[in-house]
Amino acid sequence: MPRPRLPAPALFLSLAAFLVLVFYIVPLILTLWASLTPVRNWNVAQLRQFVGAENYKRLFHLIRFDPDVSTVVKTTIVFVAGTLAVNVLGGLLLALAAFIIEERASLGFRLLWFLPRMTPVAVFGLLWYYFFYPQGTLNAILLRLHLISHPVNWGQDVLPWGPWSIIIFVNGLVGVSYGMIIFYSAFKAIPKDIYRAALVDGARLRDLVFRIMLPLTRWHLIFVTVWQLLSLLTTYAHLFVLVEWGVVEKWHGMTWALYVFETAFGSAVNDQALASAAATLLVVVGIGLGLLTLRLMGFERELGAVRGEL
Amino acid sequence: MQGEGLLAGLLGSLKPRRRRRQPTEELPLASRAVGYTVIAALLAASLPIILSYTLLVELSFSASFIATPFEKTSFTLENWRLFFQGRLAPTAAQIYTPSYIRRMILDTLIVALGVMGVVVASATPAAYAFSRMNFRGRGALMRFLILLHAFPGVALIIGVYAIYVYTYRRLALGLHAGEAALLAYAFLYVIVARASLEIPMSTWLMKGFFDRIPWEVEWAALIDGASRLRVFTRIMLPLVKPGLAALSIFSFMAGWEELIYVVVFLPSKAPTLASYIHSQLSGGAIETAYLPVVAAAAVVYLIPTILFFVFTQSLLVEAAEGAGVKA
Repeated sequence: MPRPRLPAPALFLSLAAFLVLVFYIVPLILTLWASLTPVRNWNVAQLRQFVGAENYKRLFHLIRFDPDVSTVVKTTIVFVAGTLAVNVLGGLLLALAAFIIEERASLGFRLLWFLPRMTPVAVFGLLWYYFFYPQGTLNAILLRLHLISHPVNWGQDVLPWGPWSIIIFVNGLVGVSYGMIIFYSAFKAIPKDIYRAALVDGARLRDLVFRIMLPLTRWHLIFVTVWQLLSLLTTYAHLFVLVEWGVVEKWHGMTWALYVFETAFGSAVNDQALASAAATLLVVVGIGLGLLTLRLMGFERELGAVRGEL
Repeated sequence: MQGEGLLAGLLGSLKPRRRRRQPTEELPLASRAVGYTVIAALLAASLPIILSYTLLVELSFSASFIATPFEKTSFTLENWRLFFQGRLAPTAAQIYTPSYIRRMILDTLIVALGVMGVVVASATPAAYAFSRMNFRGRGALMRFLILLHAFPGVALIIGVYAIYVYTYRRLALGLHAGEAALLAYAFLYVIVARASLEIPMSTWLMKGFFDRIPWEVEWAALIDGASRLRVFTRIMLPLVKPGLAALSIFSFMAGWEELIYVVVFLPSKAPTLASYIHSQLSGGAIETAYLPVVAAAAVVYLIPTILFFVFTQSLLVEAAEGAGVKA
């Protein structure tokens, strides 16, 4: 069999490699570099000046003394922890439910829960804008039930848990289908004979879930948790519309990723140097957390073991 | 590397499966009563999704503003008439025209098709190389692609925009490019920049399809003296049509849905459906926005998503993990 020489792979990879270089590698280096310069208002000529750790000093000063920025840090922690719990546990519950019920209904529900993920951000934001704003659906229902006497602006006035609940809710709806799909296909992948044998031995549903399904899909649980943790740290599109449209109060709806974006692109701030420093921090925390989680959960060993079973 | 194992396995489930109606033997995992209880619970949990989408569609056909899907309102096509006449914000100072609507839909379509084209053209040959060729650094590169996919996009967009600002100014001031050329450049840039974000996952997705084609098919052609490129275009591409279809759909949707890149890179004179909805609701514009018309625009914006659901149901659910990771 003729082994292809090097030029052939290079030819096939060239376009993808070029795009990755220009739109991943170079921008990343630029962002890291920009955090060491005084660049503001997209005055790219300032990228030639070097100010050392100045931006990082400013950033840490802000975290310590600026109440808004420390709110952003708190929001990030609550948002990531809360949405992660929703996505992993909710995904697990949905997958279990979809696995138990008969196939036709199951497909319908899985599709329904997949809808938020495929809905354009602007439309999904609009749905929840209607739902949460003072004259919206939520208040109309609560008023009808006489649970409140006048409309409440949940995202703006009920601090901090109003906006926090809304951002967790909205992003949870988008994110939960990821776990659902992975867990569901994992349950499907367990050989039917195992279920059958257990049923013959008189196992009940609870036994099936806790003795068979969950133990055999440990590794998927780890995978989903880690992957979602990383995604939640970096996601900001839905949060962006919720904040910009005033559904939630600015600082209680803003996670670190959105803070980076707003600092770089918000017309009031336009401070790309500071934003780059904040972005670099996100990169470091993201990579560190990812590696740490993998280590903590014995990822490598799990991987080696379960692959044979699947 | 192990990460590849799971991912390839997951993406692998997206096989061009003949959907024969085979009598799947139902395992009675739970009693009928439990089954119905679970369905009821699922239905209750799904209520917010069902209600909110229903309300959006209802609002676009409603003569008055409604807050819940159960409120009495009369059916009207007025909102749709206003929308297609371009009267997008009846009370706003800005005058819209019917051509504005066409422009909006066309711009959204240009970005979506552009992203699709760039992704398919770049990820398909790369996936072929990863699937079929042995070269130095292959494993490392594939792992690197996963890392890139997990990378904070917000850290990238600053650098991406800096390059854009620099090149745009060179074009405008150095080369005295005209307005039309600058607008074309903005579109080109937003398309290629957005498409690049899809390359890591798309390459993995397509590799899964190439992996399933028996090597013998290709081998025979290579022994007969065909070049790699010829084998790729004449033999392999026709064999991975289902993969190309899936990749095209996913990348089209990625471009169609995009909000951030469109709002950041495209000038306001080049609106898309996303940036129109955004402009109607952001920063105090709410006072002048007429929400039923915005709802009509949102329903139009949802059409590809709905078509997508109708035509690719099971593919969609099985291939979800290949579509990219949002929150």
